[in-house]
Amino acid sequence: MAPSSRSAPLTSGGIRRSPLRAAVVGAGGISTQHLGYLSTSALVEPVAVCDLSAVSARYAAAEFGVPRCYGDVAEMLETERPDVVHVLTPPQSHRDLVLMSLGAGAHVICEKPVALSGAVLEELLDAAAASDLVLTESQNYRFNEPVRFLRAAIERGDLGEVRDVEVAITLPVRDPAGRFGDPNLPSPIHALPAGVIHDFITHMTSVVLELTGPLVIDRVLAAWSNHGGGELFRYDDLDAVVVAHTDSAPVHARLRFDAATAPDRFRVRVRGTLGSGEVDLFHPFHELDVARPVGRQLTPIVNHLSNGLGRARSGVTNLAGKVMQRDAYEGLAIFLDRTYRALTGGEPLPVTTADLRAVSAMVDQLLAGASR
Amino acid sequence: MKLVVTGANGFVGRHVVAAARDRGHEVLALVRPSSPAGPIEDAVGVSIGRIDLRGGEGLVELLRGADGVIHLAAAKSGDFQAQFAGTVVATERLLDAMTRAGVERLVGVSSFSVYDYRRAEGSLIDEATPIDANPAGRDEYARTKLLQETLYRDHRSAGGGDSDRTVVIVRPGMIFGPDNLWHALIGAPMGGRFLRIGRSAIVPLTHVENVADALVLAAELNAPGAVLQEVPDVINIVDDDLPTQDGYVSLLRRLDPTSPPTVTVPWPIARGVAAGLAAANRRLLGGGAKFPGIVVPDRLDARFKPFTYSNDLAKVTLGWTPRWSIAEGIERSVAASSASSASRGLRTPSGSAGVRCPDPDAPTDRSGRD
Repeated sequence: MAPSSRSAPLTSGGIRRSPLRAAVVGAGGISTQHLGYLSTSALVEPVAVCDLSAVSARYAAAEFGVPRCYGDVAEMLETERPDVVHVLTPPQSHRDLVLMSLGAGAHVICEKPVALSGAVLEELLDAAAASDLVLTESQNYRFNEPVRFLRAAIERGDLGEVRDVEVAITLPVRDPAGRFGDPNLPSPIHALPAGVIHDFITHMTSVVLELTGPLVIDRVLAAWSNHGGGELFRYDDLDAVVVAHTDSAPVHARLRFDAATAPDRFRVRVRGTLGSGEVDLFHPFHELDVARPVGRQLTPIVNHLSNGLGRARSGVTNLAGKVMQRDAYEGLAIFLDRTYRALTGGEPLPVTTADLRAVSAMVDQLLAGASR
Repeated sequence: MKLVVTGANGFVGRHVVAAARDRGHEVLALVRPSSPAGPIEDAVGVSIGRIDLRGGEGLVELLRGADGVIHLAAAKSGDFQAQFAGTVVATERLLDAMTRAGVERLVGVSSFSVYDYRRAEGSLIDEATPIDANPAGRDEYARTKLLQETLYRDHRSAGGGDSDRTVVIVRPGMIFGPDNLWHALIGAPMGGRFLRIGRSAIVPLTHVENVADALVLAAELNAPGAVLQEVPDVINIVDDDLPTQDGYVSLLRRLDPTSPPTVTVPWPIARGVAAGLAAANRRLLGGGAKFPGIVVPDRLDARFKPFTYSNDLAKVTLGWTPRWSIAEGIERSVAASSASSASRGLRTPSGSAGVRCPDPDAPTDRSGRD
């Protein structure tokens, strides 16, 4: 079964002039991706960057042609009165900054996770609804080309009814030279309920839901481990199974995160009643094992040949992508563009409140396993 | 004086601590929380302060009562964001804490990497040479060092002309020493060999102990009791009798038994290949392609383009003369590396296993390696 469309028209009666005026709060690494879109889109004009580090705000503003910098969010909101605020700070600060921005009459695009629990998410969504403003979350990997490829295969009916989705991320997060493994100035992520895995769990769950459509969760089996030990990391490994159902069929989802194996991957595999597909988002490739019009005996051979050629094409494409500096954030630009089209033109929002609630509900159930 | 040294357990820092003690200063050595303090741990007159400058919490309290800071700490590897945090944000936090703690004397250690190397071959690089105003084609190290210098200059300006604030930016050339003899101004390791670019360019070297002396002398400028003089904004540090690339490699081959076999690409050919790739990138790919630094013209110029250099200002202003010649510096480095390897039980045979090459993650521009 193809996932149902979960995009909904924007019903907000908020500000709708084009281009919108946007402010960015938080000038860390992800801000370059947001500002890269904001500085090139005709739908929006970046007006301010705000960061506690003045030099960080100044640098980001200079790089992307943003006219003004601030060190204080309240002052920025009062002075600039932006139509949209991008909240790009560590997750612990999201609640307060989202409420401040909504209180100043701005729509909010927040980096994931927008809230650290379902209860806080409801508080924020209530505040947005009360002000007739949009609150959305960067579930950017849903819009990467490999995920769109799988979704298209599902919508064509190539895979039949989706019964099983596996999302597996492998990253060497314990590397002492990396942003999570440096013990000298521990990342704020380590203080989140799932530790460093909290930085990825929105991606994993949102990709599952992108491919299954709405799920009713029956039970969750989640093994959270700290295989590397020590105090810095709360967990470095997650192996979880979500047993759920749609309106018409049971669905199993497996979420796997590990820091020890190689190579790096963001692998997504979907199995349905008629076939299966597999992709990778870090080193993109596609594979489909589906029915072919060559008979039962020859179908596996045609699939192997087709997938082999596809892998070769991916090698060439990925080499070109490396030279041309393409990265795994392609989905973020699509997410932002579709969000601004919704804010300015009434098109459906790409990530709705229902999406936020569905991801948050699955994360809460996975975390319940952690606390046990 | 009581001098604070950031990055005190690093390649240069440990020598700065020793030089400061030799000249009778009390030293507060700032070291990141999880880093081993190394040989400075038990030195007389040296106390250790554990802090990560990127966070800066508790830094004001550590700095209170100090007379000056020699700021060496910087990020030399990682992506731009990591180097921005480790070099630029860390310096922002330090300067803010110095202001709040009332510490007015700063030696800000920068790098030769900040200069604009698009100038004519053979021209003089000195303190009057313009810095790179368009560094988009340079590596992360050069770009973050340029931003760091902006902070130093803003800090100097914020002090006002009448205050006691003394801010000296010191730009060392390539700092060589133990484990950094085969460095980025000669070429790059390639398998078991060393790929050299060019033969005849003068190499702007300074031995790690020589630059440590200069940094401490810079911290003493206009110190209480000293003869007051005009303090220059910038001082370059290079040693005397700078060798050419061929001359330096000959010295290494003679003095360093672990010298690797080399392959040399003439400078005009390397520069021509880089220029050709850059032109193709502009015309065919809209400038969007990213190539390895060794074939990017701006980065290649910053490492291998022939120039001349001067240390006149350092000698006149600081009264500094290099303690060791280039050959003596190499000998001392080889001896120190051998002793270090022996103490760690490592073999140092001739051949690639014992080659003292720079860290592959080290900056590849013409940097001070502070």
